[in-house]
Amino acid sequence: MMLSTDNMHNPHPHYHQIFAGCLELELDDPNATERWAAELLRECATAISENDSGKLHHLLWMLNELASPYGDCEQKVASYFLQALFCKATELGEHCYKTSLAVAERCHSFESTRKVILKFQEASPWTTFGHVASNGAILEAFEGEAKLHIIDISNTYCTQWPTLLEALATRNDDTPHLRLTVVATVGMGGSVMDEIGMRMEKFARLMGVPFQFHVIRNLTRLDELKYEEFGLREGEAVAVNCVGALRRVSVEERDAFVGMLSRLRPRVVTVVEEEADFTSCKGEFVSCFEECLRFYTMYFEMLEESFAPTSNERLALERECSKSIVSVLACDGHDSGDCERREKGRQWCERLMESFSPSTFSDDVVDDLNALLRRYRAGWSLVPAEGDASGLYLTWKQEPAVWACAWKP
Amino acid sequence: MAGEAVSKASQPLNPCPDPNLPPVVKKKRNLPGTPDPEAEVIALSPGTLLATNRFLCEICGKGFQRDQNLQLHRRGHNLPWKLKQRSGKEPRKRVYVCPEESCIHHNPARALGDLTGIKKHFCRKHGEKKWKCDKCSKRYAVQSDWKAHSKTCGTREYRCDCGVLFSRRDSFITHRAFCDALAEETARVSAAYTMTNTTSIGSVDSLLQDGAMTPNIWKHLSPNLKPNIMDREVGQQDRHGCSSWMGHGGQLDNAFDGTTAMSEINQAGLVDSQLSWIHFNKLSSLPTSNTLKPLTGSVPSLFTSLPHRPAPDISATALLQKAAQVGAISTTPFSGSFGLPECQNTSAGDGSVFDGLLIHEFAASNTDEVNYITRSRSMLRDCLGGETRDFLGVGVQTLCQPSANGWI
Repeated sequence: MMLSTDNMHNPHPHYHQIFAGCLELELDDPNATERWAAELLRECATAISENDSGKLHHLLWMLNELASPYGDCEQKVASYFLQALFCKATELGEHCYKTSLAVAERCHSFESTRKVILKFQEASPWTTFGHVASNGAILEAFEGEAKLHIIDISNTYCTQWPTLLEALATRNDDTPHLRLTVVATVGMGGSVMDEIGMRMEKFARLMGVPFQFHVIRNLTRLDELKYEEFGLREGEAVAVNCVGALRRVSVEERDAFVGMLSRLRPRVVTVVEEEADFTSCKGEFVSCFEECLRFYTMYFEMLEESFAPTSNERLALERECSKSIVSVLACDGHDSGDCERREKGRQWCERLMESFSPSTFSDDVVDDLNALLRRYRAGWSLVPAEGDASGLYLTWKQEPAVWACAWKP
Repeated sequence: MAGEAVSKASQPLNPCPDPNLPPVVKKKRNLPGTPDPEAEVIALSPGTLLATNRFLCEICGKGFQRDQNLQLHRRGHNLPWKLKQRSGKEPRKRVYVCPEESCIHHNPARALGDLTGIKKHFCRKHGEKKWKCDKCSKRYAVQSDWKAHSKTCGTREYRCDCGVLFSRRDSFITHRAFCDALAEETARVSAAYTMTNTTSIGSVDSLLQDGAMTPNIWKHLSPNLKPNIMDREVGQQDRHGCSSWMGHGGQLDNAFDGTTAMSEINQAGLVDSQLSWIHFNKLSSLPTSNTLKPLTGSVPSLFTSLPHRPAPDISATALLQKAAQVGAISTTPFSGSFGLPECQNTSAGDGSVFDGLLIHEFAASNTDEVNYITRSRSMLRDCLGGETRDFLGVGVQTLCQPSANGWI
């Protein structure tokens, strides 16, 4: 059988069938050329959990032939998951993760970060959904206050704040004084936060908002955060903004972390997390894998449909996923870097209910969110949480993608 | 004698007369803000002010928002001529006060002369904002305001100084906050000098005496003064366009740690120069108050000496940003310290695990980043000439369009 290595990026659609036939693997649906990556990856994951090294080697080789981070969605998913599965099989997960972390830190620049984040925000409401919801809840909770302190534990790199600053400046006649304390973990690159801080200060001046900026850094892990580091002052109203943050806390420390937040006595806590559960399956490799595959397939497809085909920013975002996927599938817990085990809204609600009570987003905020979604391509909608969960979901093609919720003491 | 509220024939008013003012009527026009002292002051209730369709046809009961419309309608009933005339009352000059006690128009001396005016005022200021724009969710109490907004909403484009155009306001704001154009103040400030001075330079002096200003800012603003920023050559700049000093609605704040442009202007001997300091009208209150309110409303034509026509409807926030841009400069010089990446080849690291296995490398797509950086460095040196680099790093654009256009 001829294998053309030229077809690396555009393999024959039936290659996987040919391979599978050779190896006498049964694919669920031999005619499904579309979702070949999922099938092969699943087989691979099963082989790992069953310790079937012969089958595993073949599958890894096959996947390597077919996968590519520059190809179509299937190829990309195959590529990044292949990396993680390989790490799992060879127990190189920690090493790989540390390497990726180091590389990312070295190459992290203000400009590249900015470019990627802002482009993503233009192309997709994935992140802006959380910004608008959180800012809306924060502004409402801060109504009438003159001294504000926002504690920002997030992955937004402060892109959330310009619109809030503008709102503060234009909303009322009396512009309140705002302190912004940003928590930066090691992976976020020190010089990047410095530059961001300067920009924020400048912008706040532009807006005419009295402003102070402070970064808490040198934290290896979020759960090292202590109450004292925030420097809370008398008479200020506190809001805590956790966007993509809670998942970075080690699973065992999460409840304690929430407890620490409540000691800050905030007026509001805004939480935004991606809707996936990599936590409860911790320990069961195949279930974890399935959930991971489901989530990242959706994410990659969303990226593909939101960006132009040749977008470098999209490439950068996809590459960032590889760290998370490796972390979840091939690492047991980190000495360095953040945990990446997401939980679903419902699960976060359970944790947060211990110290806070949920606060529904006001009609104004919901209207703003709807207006926001209208500015993007079709496929997105808002769904309120039901049952055990509170908050709002951003859904992509009817599948919940991002969850946002506001909490009061 | 106490004034009694007079109702027009067919209105269900609930008048609450102000007993303190004389009712005598004169038919003459008054200057705005100075109601006729002999006019009848009428205080309508909130309910009345918010009611629509107050003019009712006595024949069929249909309601209309305006008296003229009611009259037109009544004609349709084919009434005999004499009944068409309303029971005559002598027309009296009336002025209206706002029922809201904390409002300035509650004071009869600040009463409004026009019924529609007081209704709109009450609705806008104290009423519920029932009308909401679909596109941007902005809310309005008065329907006509909402309609007017809806016509222009979403059609507006925002241009950043770096040249990028936005159709969405939120992306524009976020972009602006991080834009390098924000960091590069000097080139644009030079353009500020070409603007015609309009009023109130005099008020600057009162500010300068306040002593709240630090002297260090202006040198960063003007290339004529020691720029000391990026080894640029002084005096080279093109006085392009009107850019930043729109002078409108600047919100300056003492909490800026004293950084405003005012003192520097004086120091630079530029007080008389061509800056439009319109907003300085407001600045006389600066020593006592902490913030200024942005001026709403459109910008008068400031840039008469320039080839480009300024945009008419510039939002308050936009003006704010523009205006304060010149004044609110940080003392940190723009030194190109963007945290340029030291490593040019990214994720060769990713591939290393797979040396034996993976053929693909997660190769750096950073070549374009590298090019951008090298270009940027040389561009920074040339910057004062009025060139600005393309935000996305693909070329140099001369700053030939005034930034005023950007505030469309």
